[in-house]
Amino acid sequence: MIHEMKISLPLPKQACALCFVVILSLVRGVSDSYEIGVALEAPLAILAVSLCADTYTQEIVCGRSEIQRLYPLKKRVCSVYGRMAIQELFLLAVAVIGYGLFFLFQNPETAQTGQSGQGGEMCQFLVYFAAITVTLGFWGLLSNLLSILFRNMWMGIGCCLLLWLFTNSSAGDRCLGAWNLFSYSFRRLGNDGDLSWLCGKMVCISLGIMAAAALPKIIEKRG
Amino acid sequence: MGIKIEDLTVTFKNKVTAVNHASLEIPGGIFGLLGENGAGKTTLMRVLTTVLSPGGGTVTLDGIPYTRENYEKIQRKIGYLPQEIDLYPGLTVQECLEYMGDLSGISAAVCKKRIACYLEKTSLSEHRKKKMRQLSGGMKRRVGLVQALLNEPEFLIVDEPTTGLDPEERIRIRNLLADFSQGRTVLFSTHVVEDLAAVCNRLAVMKKGKFLYSGSMRGLLEQAEGRIWICKARDERAAREVEKKYPVSSKQYVGDELQIKFISETPPELECSPCKATLEDAYIYSMHMDGRQAPPVK
Repeated sequence: MIHEMKISLPLPKQACALCFVVILSLVRGVSDSYEIGVALEAPLAILAVSLCADTYTQEIVCGRSEIQRLYPLKKRVCSVYGRMAIQELFLLAVAVIGYGLFFLFQNPETAQTGQSGQGGEMCQFLVYFAAITVTLGFWGLLSNLLSILFRNMWMGIGCCLLLWLFTNSSAGDRCLGAWNLFSYSFRRLGNDGDLSWLCGKMVCISLGIMAAAALPKIIEKRG
Repeated sequence: MGIKIEDLTVTFKNKVTAVNHASLEIPGGIFGLLGENGAGKTTLMRVLTTVLSPGGGTVTLDGIPYTRENYEKIQRKIGYLPQEIDLYPGLTVQECLEYMGDLSGISAAVCKKRIACYLEKTSLSEHRKKKMRQLSGGMKRRVGLVQALLNEPEFLIVDEPTTGLDPEERIRIRNLLADFSQGRTVLFSTHVVEDLAAVCNRLAVMKKGKFLYSGSMRGLLEQAEGRIWICKARDERAAREVEKKYPVSSKQYVGDELQIKFISETPPELECSPCKATLEDAYIYSMHMDGRQAPPVK
């Protein structure tokens, strides 16, 4: 696994991801802690897309895929899943750091104060953590899958970007409503009882599972 | 044990035919593959390693036909060193080979032993802790060769393995391949004619997707025998005259004069003498014959 980590997460990649959240937490203004998740979800999806696109395509670009073809498919697929897991865990850590940085740099107002306020903040963070886990997983898997399909990471990134632009727009919100991939960002802030945004995350989970399941076949055909 | 290619055709989506109705039999031992740039050597190797599917014709490896259902069986028997490969720059030589060994399904203990053995044979032992990005082009090439040997394949396909190596290392690699070829088949593609002359008994010459020659080294030399001539030219202008008339295989200044080796089917109409054909001359001769049967020497 240490080899997979060195291959899929070289230092420049880690540095870029960390710089991204530091800059985001400095330039994206939030006044209330409720807004942090909204401020982070869509940009982190872009980060996941760009970070995961070369998970396997680096093998194609460097000519190693021709050798990899001779290896058992199961081993090759396991190595790609391993790389994805490492990158997703790293992205999740970046997402948590980003959340903390917003508090550090912008000191937003919290929903409530006192003992119950702390509990509310923790609950808010856990909801963000669950939502961002699904978001990062989905966009990372999709980007990797499309990149392998087109044998080109820029095509993978481009296709994801188009989907991102649509689903992260007001038109996307109008068309898809609670089923939008960014339903967590478009939810009605302050209304904790409204859980309809979970529908969108269910769509992400379903599509993510399909992408993960399709990966072995696509690696076999296009890898 | 061998590879049999019959009437193989590979046409790309852009309608370029890289291999055109080619037939070849590759027996055990080292088999050389010579040809100009763009002749179709790499495409042929990519078919043999199942990277590309044959468009037409049949290919069998050890009697196993190249069909999708057999690919896994075939892939297990092959080791491959592609022409261009950039192995994991962030890993050390040892890590890189361990990782590739693990992917190819070799147990960790066996893998470590083989890595130590082949690193020793390729003079890379002292560089095992260096990162791949820190290695020179020749060293990277040698690591590439080690990864191809790791699973000790029955069929080893190497595309220009000696590119970027110094003369001593080239000899060492050639010897390594010669040792490895015992009881196995090694397909050795290169532009360096002397590499093939040193290790191969049999070879094929490729041009524009077809085999111009396939057979023994001696046979190729015999084809050119009596058709290689040597003459002396006083200056560049005289040399250019010779070049206009005949395909030249070498030019060399000897003292004040230019010594020119050229190819001619019939005795040339200039002052010259016949000379012994080298493999390079024979290769140039076969390229100019372009598949025609060589006429007997008069």
